[in-house]
Amino acid sequence: MNLLRRIGLAMFAPVLAVVVALVISSAVMAALQVNPVQVFAVMFDFGDTPSQQVTALVVILNRAVPLFLAGLAVAIAFRMGLFNIGVEGQYRLATILAAAVGAAVALPGPLHVLLIVVVAMLVAAIWAGIVGVLKVTRGVSEVISSIMMNVIALGIASYLLTGPLRGSPEGALIVSTAEIPESGWMPSLNGVFGLLGLANPPRQLFGFLVVAVVVGVAIAVLLNRTRFGFDLRAAGLSPSAASASGVDSSAMVVKTMLLSGAVAGLIGMPDLLGSTHAYSTDFTTGLGFLGIAVALLGRNKPVGIALAALLFAFLDRSLVPLQIQDFPASVVTIFQGTIVLAVVVANEIARRVARRSAERGSAAPAAVAGDGGTGPGQAASGAGSPGGAGDGGEGTGAGVSRTTGGGQRTDERQETGS
Amino acid sequence: MATAGTSGDPAPTGLTKDGGGPGGGSAPLAVELRGITKRFPGVVANSDIELRVRRGEVHAIVGENGAGKSTLMKTLYGMHRPDEGQILLDGREVHFRSPADAIAAGIGMVHQHFMLADNFTVLENVVLGSEPTRGVRLDRAEARRRIREISDAYALGLDPDVLVEDLGVGDRQRVEIAKVLYRGATTLILDEPTAVLVPQEVDELFGNLAELKREGLTVIFISHKLDEVRRVADSITVIRRGTTVGTADPKTTTAHQLAEMMVGSELPSPEIRTSTVRETPVLQLREVTVASPTGRPPVDDVTLTVREGEVVGIAGVEGNGQAELVDAVMGLRVLASGTVLLGGDDITAWSTRARREAGLGFIPEDRHRQGMLLEAPLWENRILGHQTRPPAVKGAFIDRRGARADTERIMRDYDVRAPGPDTLAVALSGGNQQKLIVGREMSAAPRLLLAAHPTRGVDVGAQGAIWRLLEEARAEGMGILLISADLDELIGLSDTLQVMLRGRLVATLDPSAVTPEELGGYMTGARTTAGAA
Repeated sequence: MNLLRRIGLAMFAPVLAVVVALVISSAVMAALQVNPVQVFAVMFDFGDTPSQQVTALVVILNRAVPLFLAGLAVAIAFRMGLFNIGVEGQYRLATILAAAVGAAVALPGPLHVLLIVVVAMLVAAIWAGIVGVLKVTRGVSEVISSIMMNVIALGIASYLLTGPLRGSPEGALIVSTAEIPESGWMPSLNGVFGLLGLANPPRQLFGFLVVAVVVGVAIAVLLNRTRFGFDLRAAGLSPSAASASGVDSSAMVVKTMLLSGAVAGLIGMPDLLGSTHAYSTDFTTGLGFLGIAVALLGRNKPVGIALAALLFAFLDRSLVPLQIQDFPASVVTIFQGTIVLAVVVANEIARRVARRSAERGSAAPAAVAGDGGTGPGQAASGAGSPGGAGDGGEGTGAGVSRTTGGGQRTDERQETGS
Repeated sequence: MATAGTSGDPAPTGLTKDGGGPGGGSAPLAVELRGITKRFPGVVANSDIELRVRRGEVHAIVGENGAGKSTLMKTLYGMHRPDEGQILLDGREVHFRSPADAIAAGIGMVHQHFMLADNFTVLENVVLGSEPTRGVRLDRAEARRRIREISDAYALGLDPDVLVEDLGVGDRQRVEIAKVLYRGATTLILDEPTAVLVPQEVDELFGNLAELKREGLTVIFISHKLDEVRRVADSITVIRRGTTVGTADPKTTTAHQLAEMMVGSELPSPEIRTSTVRETPVLQLREVTVASPTGRPPVDDVTLTVREGEVVGIAGVEGNGQAELVDAVMGLRVLASGTVLLGGDDITAWSTRARREAGLGFIPEDRHRQGMLLEAPLWENRILGHQTRPPAVKGAFIDRRGARADTERIMRDYDVRAPGPDTLAVALSGGNQQKLIVGREMSAAPRLLLAAHPTRGVDVGAQGAIWRLLEEARAEGMGILLISADLDELIGLSDTLQVMLRGRLVATLDPSAVTPEELGGYMTGARTTAGAA
């Protein structure tokens, strides 16, 4: 009963947010002379044959894996009260460098993959670490510096791609790095479908799914069961109490940013290791910004982030069918945007409800406990992030690659937002 | 300063218990509160409060910390609504929904902590929120004229064009007063206005209050400093444990009688009978100086020693460097010079965590800011500050079961009243939160306990319990550095008393031979060490 209640309380805000977002976006669709019922029917239509249905599932999962990692990267920082807006730049820079290193060496399979992953994590961690060091030594707000670092990272990535790291022939439509040899590819999980007696789809289910699950569990354990996680969460809940308890807040900021960055470095890996095998001008962008939305929706907890990532992936998948059916693809973007907006509001309401019921002394234990990032500060950042999330959604979903556009647009939002 | 009457005055002539205060029944009162009751979750902050304030008087409301004075004034100022009772202004009942309503009705509040924008001028601060405008522009000339007018009428001596950051504490307070007057207040509430002032500034403030009174304004003056109250007030209402216990005439009532009314007869006595002081020093500060970016160092050349089984009390008016001294001992603030030794170790360069591991316990002054994670359960609060030590931690991992079990033990042993270890800390009353903190710090058996205002804002029962715990710990050989604003607590608990004034230790006193009045004299600098122990 008690457990049921706790789950109910934890689910209350996100479910409320999704419902509110459904209502609002239905209203918007109706205003645009689009029948929302038909749109939702298309969204839930996974195809007729088992093969089509499994394919749809694979598409959703493949999309959810990087979204989950992005959400996780953002959430780690959120739990300490830090806003790592720079995930976008961190993973893009990490991915291109990892791709280049992967293409330059030849190693036996697992080692090759491991090297690529480690390089990506290191690059992103260093890039995020700079933000932490700037904050600690110079008092630069991590929001500002991570946005700036985004712009720099995207610039460097563009330069590297068209310059020293270009592997595609001159004049090719899509510029890309050299392809990683096959030893550096991650095998797909399609064997699982056979075991489950499902149709083997033409798409490859990313093997990185397993890594993502392991990382998710590891981060959950780290945050909730270890001393380090306790220090991190304590610093998020009350910086003054944390430092009085002996947490070195400066070191903690840097460590948290390094960890957040390391996870951010993984975001590009599912695609790189599973399908593209090279970084190119049409590599998936905007995941860093979507990660902010995913983290918010998932209330900064790994399980919640996984669910939120699946929801966003589900929405993204419906883009193509919607366009085929001649519906404006922007309804998905609107839906994603309203979810984020609604979730920020709902989180704050849920936090107040839980806190008030706790103050009254009634038994609502730990509904908000440890949910580091749901303070007022988060609401403030949330105000800025919907724009970023919307941008990201549009950019990635429609498959349009705008190497710097997304980042710049978010800059403006962030400035006005904060 | 130390002119308070001694306990020799037998007849409480000026005291009228419960009800009709001086002047009741005559012309309509400026402010009258009838049967005000305010409940918060789990506590009754005010119950059945009666208050009658005549127009044109300075009316003091006295009571201990946590007695409910601030809650009452917030009710009067419209910051929250009473659950029961009536508020009458000039004989008419009013219902305030917000401070804006109260301001419109002529009530102004000067908060204990100033609410001024440092990089604004006096003029800008005063008009902020009710700017005179010409068209859409701020009418500076009009604002300047009115501020000058107010400043001259009440002898506030304000220059409208000075930046607030260049002003001293006393001037800032006058800006706050001007702010309230600018909005047309006829009744001013001053919440502990002297807490941040040095004696000369207090005198100036009292001069200003006399001016206000002369102009027919009403002042409600909240304080727990009895001597000041007796100097400035025309009548006094005493609050104890959330209710009014009576009114008093300051001319005929001694400070001692007021104190009795404030604390009641069941005042727990914090007295330590036998000395348990041993030879071994546990904490030594040698010429410790903490620098501040502006002005004089908040801690200036402090040298003191705490031995095993000894309680060293630091007395002083708040804001004389005590908070900075605490930070220096805890390693939360870098020293400009000097050394800190814990036992035989020089811990000057150690981190806070290393200091805690080496046996430093800490009861912070502001438990919400430094002592607890309010939105975390009690068992996580048990871990706070002890992240590296059993029983709550095993290696790099949190031992949830161990933490819960030990939290239950603390709740049992230290009488922390809460549903269970999974309750959020925010659900506990101040006293229970404090007992949890004391229990937590004691559980680690520190060599030195740094206790900053350990009984601030807790009820009398919890206060007695905390005093007993400190005494027991002392008897077992713990050294305690006690910082407090409660003179009885200091005198009753300490083996040695140090007086801190403007960052320096100015006197070392024997608590068994000093009276609160004498101590008060040292704290304000009215007395000096000549002839002291």
